[in-house]
Amino acid sequence: MAPKITLDHISMKFGDFYAVHDISLDVEEGEYVTILGPSGCGKTTLIKVISGIWHPTEGRVLIDGEDVTDVPLEDRDMGYVFQNIALFPNLTNLANVEYGPRVRAWPPEEQRATAEKYLKLVAMLDRAGMFPGELSGGEQQKVAIARALASGSKILMLDEPLSALDARVRMELRYEIRRIVKELGITVLHVTHDQEEAMSVSDRIVLMRAGRVHDTGAPLDIYRNPQSIFAAYFIGETNLLEGYVSGWTKNGRTKVRLRGGHTVRAEKSAFATGDAVVISVRPENVYTADDGLKAKVVSVVFMGTFWRVRTVAETGDYLEYNVSGNHAAPRPGDQVMLVFNKRMTKVFARPAEGLEGAISLE
Amino acid sequence: MSLFVRINAISDSAKVRKAWFGLVCAIFICIIIVPSVFVVTKVFTDWGLISGVLGDSAEMAVIGRAVWNSFSIAFIVTILDVVAGLPIAWILVRKNFRGKRFLDTLLDMPLAFPTAVLGLSVVMFWGAPEGVTIPGLGICFSPYLMLVLLHIIFTYPYMVRSLSGILEQIEPNYETAAMTLGASRFTAVRTITLPLFRAGLVTGTTLCFARSLSETGGTYIALTLMGCESSFFTGPTYIMDNSGGALSGPMILISVIMILLALALLVLVKAVITHLHVSGNRVWPELGRKLSRGFAPKAKDALALFFMVLFVLVPSFYLFVYLSEPTAMDYGTLLGSIGTSFLVAGVAVLFDIVFGIPLAMYIARHRGERFAGILDNLVNIPLIIPTTALGLSLALFWGGTASTGAVAVVLVILGHISFTYPLVVRNITGAVEEVDPAYEETALTLGAKPLETFSKVLFPVIKSSVIAGAILAFTRSLGETGATVAISSSVNTVPVYIVNLVKEGAASYPAAAMCSIVLIAICFVLMFAVRAVMHRGSDRDA
Amino acid sequence: MPEIVLDGLVKKYSGGIRASDGLSLTVHDGEYLCLLGPTGAGKTTALRMICGLTKPDAGRVLFDGEDVTTKPTGARRATMLSQGYALFPNMDVYHNVVFAPTIRHWKEEDTKQLARSMIDMVHMGKKVRSYPHELSGGQQQRTALARALASDSKVLLLDEPLRALDARLRIELRKELKSMVKEMGLTSVHVTHDQEEAMELADRIAIIRSGKIIQVGTPQEIFQDPATPFVANFLGRSNIFAGKLVSTDGTASVIELANGIRVRARPCDLEPGDDAVIAVKVGFTVPELIGAAPDVQDAHLPDTLPEGYFHGKVERVLYEGSTITIETTVPGLGLVSSQRSSRRYEYYRPGSEVMITWQPEKASVFRLPAGGLVQEMRLD
Repeated sequence: MAPKITLDHISMKFGDFYAVHDISLDVEEGEYVTILGPSGCGKTTLIKVISGIWHPTEGRVLIDGEDVTDVPLEDRDMGYVFQNIALFPNLTNLANVEYGPRVRAWPPEEQRATAEKYLKLVAMLDRAGMFPGELSGGEQQKVAIARALASGSKILMLDEPLSALDARVRMELRYEIRRIVKELGITVLHVTHDQEEAMSVSDRIVLMRAGRVHDTGAPLDIYRNPQSIFAAYFIGETNLLEGYVSGWTKNGRTKVRLRGGHTVRAEKSAFATGDAVVISVRPENVYTADDGLKAKVVSVVFMGTFWRVRTVAETGDYLEYNVSGNHAAPRPGDQVMLVFNKRMTKVFARPAEGLEGAISLE
Repeated sequence: MSLFVRINAISDSAKVRKAWFGLVCAIFICIIIVPSVFVVTKVFTDWGLISGVLGDSAEMAVIGRAVWNSFSIAFIVTILDVVAGLPIAWILVRKNFRGKRFLDTLLDMPLAFPTAVLGLSVVMFWGAPEGVTIPGLGICFSPYLMLVLLHIIFTYPYMVRSLSGILEQIEPNYETAAMTLGASRFTAVRTITLPLFRAGLVTGTTLCFARSLSETGGTYIALTLMGCESSFFTGPTYIMDNSGGALSGPMILISVIMILLALALLVLVKAVITHLHVSGNRVWPELGRKLSRGFAPKAKDALALFFMVLFVLVPSFYLFVYLSEPTAMDYGTLLGSIGTSFLVAGVAVLFDIVFGIPLAMYIARHRGERFAGILDNLVNIPLIIPTTALGLSLALFWGGTASTGAVAVVLVILGHISFTYPLVVRNITGAVEEVDPAYEETALTLGAKPLETFSKVLFPVIKSSVIAGAILAFTRSLGETGATVAISSSVNTVPVYIVNLVKEGAASYPAAAMCSIVLIAICFVLMFAVRAVMHRGSDRDA
Repeated sequence: MPEIVLDGLVKKYSGGIRASDGLSLTVHDGEYLCLLGPTGAGKTTALRMICGLTKPDAGRVLFDGEDVTTKPTGARRATMLSQGYALFPNMDVYHNVVFAPTIRHWKEEDTKQLARSMIDMVHMGKKVRSYPHELSGGQQQRTALARALASDSKVLLLDEPLRALDARLRIELRKELKSMVKEMGLTSVHVTHDQEEAMELADRIAIIRSGKIIQVGTPQEIFQDPATPFVANFLGRSNIFAGKLVSTDGTASVIELANGIRVRARPCDLEPGDDAVIAVKVGFTVPELIGAAPDVQDAHLPDTLPEGYFHGKVERVLYEGSTITIETTVPGLGLVSSQRSSRRYEYYRPGSEVMITWQPEKASVFRLPAGGLVQEMRLD
């Protein structure tokens, strides 16, 4: 059975700066949790604290209920995969994977057998005798994963494991990682800034920003039902429109008056009439119709199975929507009428720091 | 300005750049490399002189012992430096603590001390030389041991610097990765970091070995103070003892032996360290664990620090005790010799910078290419050759050992260029290698010509390293005795003056000590001034 | 603005690596061209030969018909925007931006005005006096762009200019990037390994592999009509099946796969009996649920699809936001991936029985590559 990880009010301070601020989190047995956030949000600091590379300023780390905060790194028994791969350049791939068993002084036959087993799992057995420098980036990272798993750890930490790789390799490897860890049934903490990667591999996403947990939930929940503007914006693309609540429909949906006077309907919400709000609607939930919000097409981009159309609406907001690749796309300069799938919109209070500040990525 | 514009314009031409680089290479070969090893040719041209010595078995025994002393001392010193230097290098690179900067500066100080001064200071501290009123520990009376103690001081900083330089380049994630796999720190370091460390060991060993082999002034002073300068020799002091007169067979012979042995040994060191396969398959998890935590690592750090303080710092500074007994001295001669020293060092360093930068840039930017590799190895030759032998060689090349006046000063400057040039080139090469070539390339694509690219983009970035290299070379030149004496006995630089004072006997020791203190003070003021200037610059850039 | 022609460029590095192996390419006047390929394909070498930082062993570089192969870099007026931005660390934002005007000794007021307009365009007005290390990644990228645009160059070369940025920021900045460059009307060559970035930015894409250009065309052309199985899978993921051609006519080809199943694809010029490879984009590979009501199709699929080719069992369903990826195990073929709208997420469960199908005109047919399929499909 894979262990459960509990974080109890973890903080990590560098000088006066809180890289991680009071984070509590439970990771269940065998769960695949992704810690997602922009650069500098503290996500890497957090897993370095969990794996014992750093000691937290405050708080405790528990594994299966046992406090391991003071257990040194080498005794925590957690596999760790680095962004820059960090395979030992002086050892062959096989010797790299054997390293964990070797430093635990397992019997030599067992070291070899284990290493071969894990190399086979990542389909790298035929490269066992080569040195890491002779492999491509993607292959190296597979060996690194085998190495992290070979000492039998039931917890795996992935520290931006795909960032250094080509986009296309990244896409293949993320599916492969998920397949492997699920097969072994281990608990995984995966750090990334790539929301697509996070969505496609995890059981649960923890969205971090400025050292704190911003939102957490299964990919489906967090995509369909984000709890903040930042979450809506960061995870998947979205259109944001500013306006004021002007009333309610019979079904209790929110009517929002946008800039320029156009009124649209959005999902139910708990605001009062006159409140300043922001509507979030994803491009795939925006359609053209005979009547609706007037918008001028700015650019049209081919995305494979669909066209992405970027427009400026009469309200001054930017709005994007998709058109099937089988249909004719509009041309820049065309006028279109846009409507939303009301059920798939979200209404948020307009943030005090302004919309720009609320979605700032840096 | 218009000159700059004109040069800048023609710098765009590949032919002009090639011609300039060709000139630099020619200067490097003709002024630095060939004169340094010229003495070897005397084996063929003046065989008569040498065969005479070979027949003289008494003389041969002295020469043999001198060579043995030099090499065995260098060997012992290097080993001690590695063992004691590694923990300190580690602390300097991987640990953060208050006072780290202070430790860093402290470590560089012995480099600013002329070795002749160190010789004085060390013998006073460990021994009890006759006629010296300052009390010493009085526990060391063997010249051999004394020289080991002395040589540790000026080789140790080189070792720590090279080791920490390499350590900085080794990805710390390797060690962390090993530890996440269950290795204790001791095991991780032994199986992963140390095997990656070989390049650092080669550089460190080369530098220390060469430095110990060449050292003359301090060694000579130490031997004189102990009263055995004419019974106990190292290679360099033997040459020094015989210099100043006509060209003699023993001098040539020992120079050639020293040069050839040094070159051979260093090739060997390189080969052994690079190809040595240390089997790290066996691990002892329990032992590793014990050595990684609690008392053991602390004891190791404490021991290393203790070594550094007792064997390096305290003996170097012991001389300052003389401040308690000020003495009258000949300020006129001292000032004159300081002037000479600064003239020699200044001109040499200026030359090094002007002709060193192009070579360093070429080596750094063409890593892995054959010609650059050859140049890189050639640059180190003057560093490896004992400076006394180098001085002799140079004097022979430029026409005789008995020159005087301005000619002698020029020859001394050329000599100092030979052994400071590698220091400057090495420093700048390292700096240029760290600068992403994308800076210069981007400037070129933005329309800059090669000279502007250098002056506006690359030079401002490497400036601090150029200055650091210049300081290193300058202090090295200030402290050199052997080469100066071997080239001409009439050029009176400060170390030569100090050696001469010591030669005069016990009565002049206080004066020698005061001279040393004045020289050190000047060096420090200079070093701190430059550091302050650099610091102001780097506050803005960092 | 110039037209760039690369004519048979060859560049060998020590160790026998051919970074360019007879590379020929034409970049039209004012065009934004993306050079797309995996790491080690020779993308950067090609870029460096255009601006003269690398000298080709053979072949020519022409700007507007003029041979510039031996012209010094500084005189080519082709500016490079490199991966790490290479902002000069000893200069603030302003002095970085005016680097080119300064060394060209432009009049001071001209320089100032140009700098101001460039800095405003990239929204760096508030950071004019900051040094590069004080800027975030995105700000550095913008400053580097402003510096390149202020250089009066006619050609802009971008070497993975977005690689160092966060995924989300990358998406935002690539939208800005093209509009700014287009506004200046420069001929641009942008090197990237990211097919989405290339699709978003490029007027035309050139696919490069092992130092050779494999295919050049608009994103749409390359996506819909790839030249090789590799391209089919590189620009948009594809399912690849190997088999033998049974027949082909004006409307469709029939191919028999290894497990004996016959599938239909686009017409091709192979002979019956030839070894063939077919590639179907994951977005066009539809797993129809067995026993469910007739499938409501995604907007980009037609109302009716051919009857399923093979039967399989859903292995897992991955939620990716606007889309889902369904991985189906097909006996004898292994995993087949499909991408569908995320609105259909609730319909699929691991273990669901499905029939895989696609429109024949969406499936490309290729001759089996000489080096073998595995070698052909390697992504890095």
